[in-house]
Order: sequence, then C-alpha cells, then structure tokens
Amino acid sequence: MLSTDLRDNVLVVRVEEKRIDASKAPKFKDEITRCIEAGQNQIVLDLSQVDFIDSSGLGALVTCLKRLGPKGSLAVAGATGAVSRLFTLTRMDRVFALHPNVDTAVEQLSA
Amino acid sequence: MKIRHILLILTAFLGAALLVAVAFQIRDELLGYQTAERMVASNTVRERLLLGTEALANERSQTYVLLIGQRNEAGGIAELRDVRRQVDDLLNAAENEITATQASLSNTNNSLATVSRIRQEIGTLRQQADQSLGLAEGTRGDQFAPRWFQEANRLVEELQSSRMTILQRERPLDPVLRTEANLRAFGAILSESIARNQALMSRALENSSGVGGFEIDAISQNAGRAALAWELIDGQMTVPLSEGVKDVVSRTHENYSSTFAPLQRSLLAALIGKVPPTLAPAEWYDLTGRTLSNIALMQRELLGSTRERLEAELRRTQRSLTLWSALLLLGAAAVLTSILVVRRRVVRPLEGLSQAMLRLADNDLEIPLPRLARADEIGEMNDALRVFKANAIQRQRTQNEKQVLHARLREAYSQLQKDLEAAAVIQQTMLPLSSRIDGVEYHGLFRPSSLIAGDTYNVVRRTDGAVGFFQVDVAGHGAAAALVSVACHHALSQAILTRTQGTPLEEIAVQINDEWPEDLPYFTMILGEIDSRSQRASIVQAGHPSPLVIRSNGAVEMIGEGGFPVGMLPAASYERLEFDLGPGDRLFIYSDGLVEAEDQDGEQFSEARLRTLVHDTAGEPSSMLLGKLDDVLRNWRGSETLDDDLSVLMLERLAERIPANAVH
Repeated sequence: MLSTDLRDNVLVVRVEEKRIDASKAPKFKDEITRCIEAGQNQIVLDLSQVDFIDSSGLGALVTCLKRLGPKGSLAVAGATGAVSRLFTLTRMDRVFALHPNVDTAVEQLSA
Repeated sequence: MKIRHILLILTAFLGAALLVAVAFQIRDELLGYQTAERMVASNTVRERLLLGTEALANERSQTYVLLIGQRNEAGGIAELRDVRRQVDDLLNAAENEITATQASLSNTNNSLATVSRIRQEIGTLRQQADQSLGLAEGTRGDQFAPRWFQEANRLVEELQSSRMTILQRERPLDPVLRTEANLRAFGAILSESIARNQALMSRALENSSGVGGFEIDAISQNAGRAALAWELIDGQMTVPLSEGVKDVVSRTHENYSSTFAPLQRSLLAALIGKVPPTLAPAEWYDLTGRTLSNIALMQRELLGSTRERLEAELRRTQRSLTLWSALLLLGAAAVLTSILVVRRRVVRPLEGLSQAMLRLADNDLEIPLPRLARADEIGEMNDALRVFKANAIQRQRTQNEKQVLHARLREAYSQLQKDLEAAAVIQQTMLPLSSRIDGVEYHGLFRPSSLIAGDTYNVVRRTDGAVGFFQVDVAGHGAAAALVSVACHHALSQAILTRTQGTPLEEIAVQINDEWPEDLPYFTMILGEIDSRSQRASIVQAGHPSPLVIRSNGAVEMIGEGGFPVGMLPAASYERLEFDLGPGDRLFIYSDGLVEAEDQDGEQFSEARLRTLVHDTAGEPSSMLLGKLDDVLRNWRGSETLDDDLSVLMLERLAERIPANAVH
C-alpha cells in the first residue's frame, strides 16, 4: 500500500492506493507510525495516486501528524481533486504543508 | 442367497458327495465280502461232499470184494465198519456244513434232501449187503455183488452231481480257483474210474476164464476214462497254479503212468487174450488202493490250496471293508467338523459383522461390536469396523459441538441484532420529526449505512426565541460512531439550550472542541441558528460540507468555505458566518454520505449533481424535495444499501405565521 524512498534525508512515502477509507486507514496509520518510530521526522506524503480520502483516512493523517510532534514535519504532495477539496473544507491545508509535487516538497523540507 | 448359505451348502454338498462315493465303495466291498463268504461256504460243502464221495467209492469196493468173497471176512468186516463210519462221518459233516451255510448259500434244501436220501439208500443197501454176508454162503453174496456195485455207483454219481450242482451255482471267477475246481472234478472222474476198476478187475482176476466181454468192456471203458481224465488234467496245467499243487499233480501222474497204467494195460490185454493173469486179485486191490490214496492226496492238496486262497480272499475283503468303513466314519466326522468350523469361524462372525455394519450405517452408534481376537481377514474387518465406529462417534461428537457452537453464535448474533435494532429505534426517536418552531419549518432525511449511524441532527427552540439547529457526522460509521453521535447530540442540544445570552455560536464550537477527549473520533458539524425576529441566520461550519441556500425565487447558493472538524486539533478556531434567510428561503444541510454515495461503477454522486437536483426541484415543498432526493439516490446506488451514513436537514423560514401543527 505504501512505498518509501529516502531523498536528502526526507522520507518520501508514496501511497499506492486510489482510496484511503475506513478499510485501509488503520493499516496506513500503522505503517507511517512505524516509519516515525524508526526515527524519520521529515516526511513527504505523495498522494498523487489517491482519488478519495474519507473521514477515517483524514483522521489517520492527523494522527500521524500528532505522532510526529512539533519537531517533525509532514508535508503533502500531489493532492488534487476531491482530496484537495477535503483539505480545504476541513482547513487541513492550514495544518499540512501542501505542495504541487514531491520535488518541491522535498526541496522545502530539506532546506 | 447369502454367503453363509453358499458356504454351508457347498460344504454340505462336498461332504455328501464324499460320503456317497465312500458308501458306494463300501457297498462293493460288502458284496465282495459276501461273495467271498459264499465261496468259502460253497467250497467247504463241496470239500465234504468230495471226501464223502471218495469214502463212498472206497466202501463200494470194500463191500464188493467182501461180497465176492475175496477177503478174509473177519478182518474185512472190521475194516468195512471203519470205512462205513468214515462215510457216515463225512456225509454227516457235509449235512452239517450245508445246514450251517444255509444263510449264505442258495438252494441248500435240495442238496440237503439229496444227501439225506443218499444216506438212507446207503443204509438200505448196507442192510442188504450184511444179510448177504451174514449167511456165509458165497453164492448168495456173489449174487448180490453186481446189484450192490450198480446201486453204489448210482449213489456215488448222485453225490458227484450234487457237488457239481453246487459248483455250478457258485462258480469262482478267479482263474486259479476255477482251474483247481476243474482239476478236482477231473481228479474225481479219475478216482472213480480207478475205483470201479479196482472192484471189477478184482473180480475178473479171481475168475479170469469166466470173464465176459461185457465186463472187459466196462474195465476198458474205465481205463479209457482215466486216461481221458489225465489228459484233461494236463490241459489245465497252463494256468499259474501254486508250486505245491503242480508238484503233487505231476508226482501223482508220474506214479500213475509208471506203475498203475502199464499194469492195468497188461492185465487188460491178458484178459482180452484169455491169458491167465500173473497178479493175484488181492495184490491188484492193494495196488489200486495205493494209487487211489495218491489221487486222494492230490485232491486234498487241491482242496487245501483252494481253501487257503478263499480264506485269504475273505480276509482281504474283510480288511478292505473295515478300512472303507473307517474311512466313511472319518469322512463323516470331517464333514461335520468342516460345517461346524465354517459356522463358528466364518458364518457367525460374518453375521455379527454384517448386522453391526447395517446398524452403523443407520447411524446407530450404540451397537456393541463383536469381540473377535483374530488375526485373519475377519479379524481385520472387525478391527476396521471398530476404527470406523470410533471415527463415527468422534465425528458425531464434533458435529454436536459444532451445532451447539453454531446455536450459541446464532443466539449471540440475534441478541446483538436485537440490541442494535433497539438502539436504532432509540437513535431514530432522538431525531426531530418534521415540524415548525416560530415560523421555521424543518424536515429531515436520515439513512444509516447499518442499523445505527454516526450522523445525527436536531432543531431546538432557544429561550431567547431563536431556533438553534445542528447536524453532526462522526468520523467512521457503525456502533462506535453512533455512540459518539449520541454524545454529540446531547452535548450540542444542551449547549444550544443553556447558552447564555450573547455567547457567540463559534464559542460553543471552541468549547466542545477543547473539551473533546482525544481518544474519541472527531466529527464534522454545522451548528447554526435562525433569528426569528430578523431575516438573518448564522452557522459555524466545522469540516462539514458547505450547506446550500435555496432562495424563494429558486436560486441556489453555497454558503461557507470550510472549517476545522471538532475533536481533531485542540487549538482549532471557528468562525461564524452570517447570511440573509428571508421568508420562503430554505437552508439545505447534508453530510458527505450524500455527495460521496457511489454508483455501481464507483462514481460519486457529487456536489454538482446535488446542486442540479436541488435547482431542478427548488419549486417543490421541502418534504417532496427530500422524497425525490431519496429516490434519485436509490437509483444512483442501484440498491437499498449505503456505504456511509447519510442525513439531510432542511430548514425553511415561513413567509407568514401559520398554525404550528400544519406540516407540508
């Protein structure tokens, strides 16, 4: 469901699913948590393949952000369409740093 | 036909066949034994008769020479008494023997009658002979002599013929026995011929000049008969007889040919030629007597040989009969044993196993299995059946346990279902029915994805006259979300009712957000109020989809651009949004389950379709609009079920005051 790639000390996590909903949210949360517990605190979440996130998915995202704590940062890249609208509707665009693509996000975080 | 019948019938049939075969053999052996017994009896009778005949011939000669006065009377008569006693003894013995063998010989009565008649006639003849001798007159005795000789001849012949009759009835099949019988018959002819000539020649030698042609013919005939008898005897010698018999025959023949035959020939020639013979009658008599006793010896040897052979045959058949009878008993015992063994070792256990199998097949697991401690096939079958039964019992036990478990599960599930149904009823009763409060009319649509939902809404009249309302969608769905939604419902309703004058709406949201336990799921909501005195309304949007405003002229507007969900971030801030809601204007608040409802291809219903639908049905009363929306959604889904909870709350500011109980 996830593929990870370390670029300039930033962990790029690519979500290889079309949906993050109630059925996938727990697993998603566990995997990201594992990465965080392994010591990663600069994470870019690549959502370019994701079409839809429901309330459970959003909850998982926020939980991950809380786990990361104030020292770390979780940036979101490639959010479009319904996903982008969800971020706007729930004001999560103010909580997560949104980037059009992974490169910009990595650049921003590694700077 | 069952196997046990086949086995038993087969064994019985084989046994019966064996017994019948042995029985036939025994019958043959029995017949052989009876034949041998009869042969022995017949032979014994004939032996006595032969000896009797010889003795009678001897008496005939003795009496004859006494009658013609050739013997010293005192010595002769004493000798004659002995001879007579011999004859009587032998005939008596023959009679006894015939009587004794009546059981095994047929037609013995005739022989018995013949012998007894001959004894009677001999008795008469003896009296006559004694009378002649008692007068001591040579002439009278001499006169009776030819008649005596003739009568005695007749009786000798009758005895002979009665012997031959018996022989004819019981003719032996064994070639040696036949030959020996023939040899005895020829020996008897020989003996008789010589014995006759013993008498006739004695008389002729006494008075050689007075011998008539008739007498010479008779002597000559007898001599010829004797020669013929020897030829017949020689003709029988090709058969493999015992050495003793061969020896005695050849010795007797040798003796006859070397001494008796030439003497008789020369005497006969002298008689014919009227030449006075050189031999005294007494010498002739003795010489003949010796020859006769030689022949008698030969006959005894023959009789002995025959007797031995017959007795050997009798013993053989007796042994054979005993052997076969023992075999019959053994066979019967074997058949009986096989039947018993087959019954006990095969048929009974098979019956037991077969019955047990049938009962097991009928699922009767109580049936006890036969106790067989055996290493053969039946034992193996029994062991297999035991395992089969154990497995069947185990299977039944497992099945019973499964059934019990299944029943418990069903019970638990049904209890859970009942609980959920009860909870659903309670949740439904928490929702306000279509009604109006102070010029605000409201309608709701509520469709949970399962029995209970994470969605809820309420409309509450505030003490200051405003109408407060909210719609909540708890993250996730199902029982947990439903419980949280109940908590929200209560918290929000209380907050609206107890809000002190002047507390801004967004403050309520901030308070609830601050107090929201971190472990609980977050929720989105629209919290709002409609001022009944002004044309204004205000809402706080907390992550909830932006509501629509349907103007009284049919225009559709979207209000709000978003806000933080409640219970997600502790420090979230909220804004209040104020807008105009004039008479006839309607507020359309919905949860995301409405626009995110997917059709069978996975396409969401979408905001755009919702706006089009609302725009197209803007002329309809709220209840009609909601009904139509429900229908359209059902069609969109293609089923009665939903993936997420769905709820809509519609509020309308009425154009003028209408009585509170009238509802569209």
